[in-house]
Amino acid sequence: MSGSRDVVPARAWMSVVQKVGTPIMSTVLAIGVGSLIIWISGYDPVEAFAALFKGAFGGPRQIGETILRSTPLILAGLAVGYGFRAGLFNIGAEGQLMMGGLLAAWLGVELAGLTPLITIPTLLLVGALAGAAWAFVPAILKARIGAHEVITTMMFSHIARYVVSWLTAGPLKAPGQIPQTVNLSANAQIPRIQSLFSATTLEALPFFGLGRAHLGVFIAIIAAVGVWLVLRYTTLGYENRAVGLSPWAAETAGISVQWTTVKALCISGALAGLAGAVEVMGLHHRIFDQFSAGVGFTGIAVALLAKNHPIGIIAAALLFGALSAGSGTMQLEAGVSQKIILIIQALVIFFVAAEGIVNWFIRKRQKEATSGAE
Amino acid sequence: MLSDVITPDLFAAALRIATPLALAAIGGTICERSGIVNIALEGIMLIGAFFGTATVLATGSPWLGVIVAVLAGVAISAVHAVASVNLRTDQVVSGTAINLLALGLTGFLMELWYGHPGTTQPIPTLQPVFRIGAMGEGFLGEVWRWINGVFLSHTPIVYLAIIIAIGAQWALYHTRWGLRLRALGEHPRAVDTAGVSVARGRWVAVLMSGALGGLAGANLSIEQVGVFQEGFTNGRGYIALAANIFGRWTPIGSYLASLLFGFADALQIKLQPFRDVIDLPPEFFLMVPYVVTVVVLAGVIGRAVGPAQVGVPYEKG
Repeated sequence: MSGSRDVVPARAWMSVVQKVGTPIMSTVLAIGVGSLIIWISGYDPVEAFAALFKGAFGGPRQIGETILRSTPLILAGLAVGYGFRAGLFNIGAEGQLMMGGLLAAWLGVELAGLTPLITIPTLLLVGALAGAAWAFVPAILKARIGAHEVITTMMFSHIARYVVSWLTAGPLKAPGQIPQTVNLSANAQIPRIQSLFSATTLEALPFFGLGRAHLGVFIAIIAAVGVWLVLRYTTLGYENRAVGLSPWAAETAGISVQWTTVKALCISGALAGLAGAVEVMGLHHRIFDQFSAGVGFTGIAVALLAKNHPIGIIAAALLFGALSAGSGTMQLEAGVSQKIILIIQALVIFFVAAEGIVNWFIRKRQKEATSGAE
Repeated sequence: MLSDVITPDLFAAALRIATPLALAAIGGTICERSGIVNIALEGIMLIGAFFGTATVLATGSPWLGVIVAVLAGVAISAVHAVASVNLRTDQVVSGTAINLLALGLTGFLMELWYGHPGTTQPIPTLQPVFRIGAMGEGFLGEVWRWINGVFLSHTPIVYLAIIIAIGAQWALYHTRWGLRLRALGEHPRAVDTAGVSVARGRWVAVLMSGALGGLAGANLSIEQVGVFQEGFTNGRGYIALAANIFGRWTPIGSYLASLLFGFADALQIKLQPFRDVIDLPPEFFLMVPYVVTVVVLAGVIGRAVGPAQVGVPYEKG
């Protein structure tokens, strides 16, 4: 963000290292502290992380699971990150994600019989709109009267949870005992990656047997590139960043802070809604109570780790997707509770945010140096 | 039907439900007055509730559980203090990390110590302070039934919360500490210039909010529910922050705002059995506290102005 265009290449390279350095250091630190907790708890951290690695990358099926878990995390990370770039903390992405999934699951059943070429784009769009709609009231409240979006989006997230549990147990409930909706028909499902290949190809190239991973990952990557382009090359993105950097300066420059805030939070909600729709169409094919499984909250960690950079978000989502995919194997083989993943996520957020730890030491040493010179 | 809903029990429940919100909200008030946003109250409550419950399970003593809950709240809030005062981290982000950490840590320890996720074994709870039966007859008997039912049926922390609200209100406006606290949030530079440490003042405020958050957790687990359940704070920390805003950053205001939320929640619980009269799914009742929070925020903000420097890290010049 600083004037890196007119500095010498060596400096520019240093700035890249600095940009990537903190996230990598934070991840290493978080995994280190996580290992310490595992060790104190009486387990072997090496065994635990070896099992986790095996569960995340041990074979095509495992890699497929990592891709599967990363897919909604990319979109949720983009949602939270886009908000952050406008200075907004969309902590309630989880709720918007639920509403996106809900609408996709409901309309997907209604639209049975149409060609996938119509159904799939329609459902994605509707999911995104549902997410945007769920963010709209908090957005208006923030823009008009300054109600803190952290509280309002969080409240809307709790409300969404009850809306989903009401509909899945009541009006939209499929026949049977379990509170869940009817399965989406095939024309509304996002196909698995391995379905692109014939049985003989898969036999010859087993690497493409990516288990449950679906084509939604490409939707997520396209969205990431799209958000990057919007932020970098469009007026919309420019205003978004300007308001995020300094609302006062943006207002002075003639940008409407209120309108930009509304747009930012709604676009953030749309991305979260898209995450929900993709998750439902690609993985669950229906919704049930708590189908969102905290993806919206993990999106916060993803965005922060990537410092809200859309392309970095893909990498960060892959990391958290791998942790999530491997945690089952870790619990099974090393006996360590999957909850350790939540702890590591929290530590990553903490260390990234406390970038100051490094700066603090530097400042302290500078101070000591100057006071020593006096 | 109305006489079945409007009972002493309804108002007693309002006081009960308001208590953890109020304690956390007053914690939020003290913290924000010092210039530090404390989104972490949700996690602090959860940590307090968990370690409090674990202590009661290990020792059988509810009071010891309360003390440990408070200490656990203080300990976890120290992380927030380091981050936001010393490292000048974004305070909302640090708070979010603590909330996530609390969720993960309590779940992890739950499985490690008790071998299963979800809910702990029931624990012995703190009992009501007064136990007075019916007195008098006719109108006087009825008046007594109301006074006894609404005000004299509670467990210790419910009363403690009222005392803390009044005490904190007094301290905020009539002591040197209170004056400095308010100045910290409005104009830290002035406090610094006067030779008083901004960092120390803010540290104390964050730790106090941690203690109150821990106490709120103790009330929830050791007085109200009698177990620890993963994630059972259910957004109360965020509602408490809304109560603090609605109460205009004053302890008594926070308490009264919490009472409003408590009443709304008590009313929805009381109305649930009347579903043949009010034909709504149960989930609609459960949404009430969250909807009320949004409505209240929408109604008051704009007219309620918080401390000027809240959320802004202070850099010693």
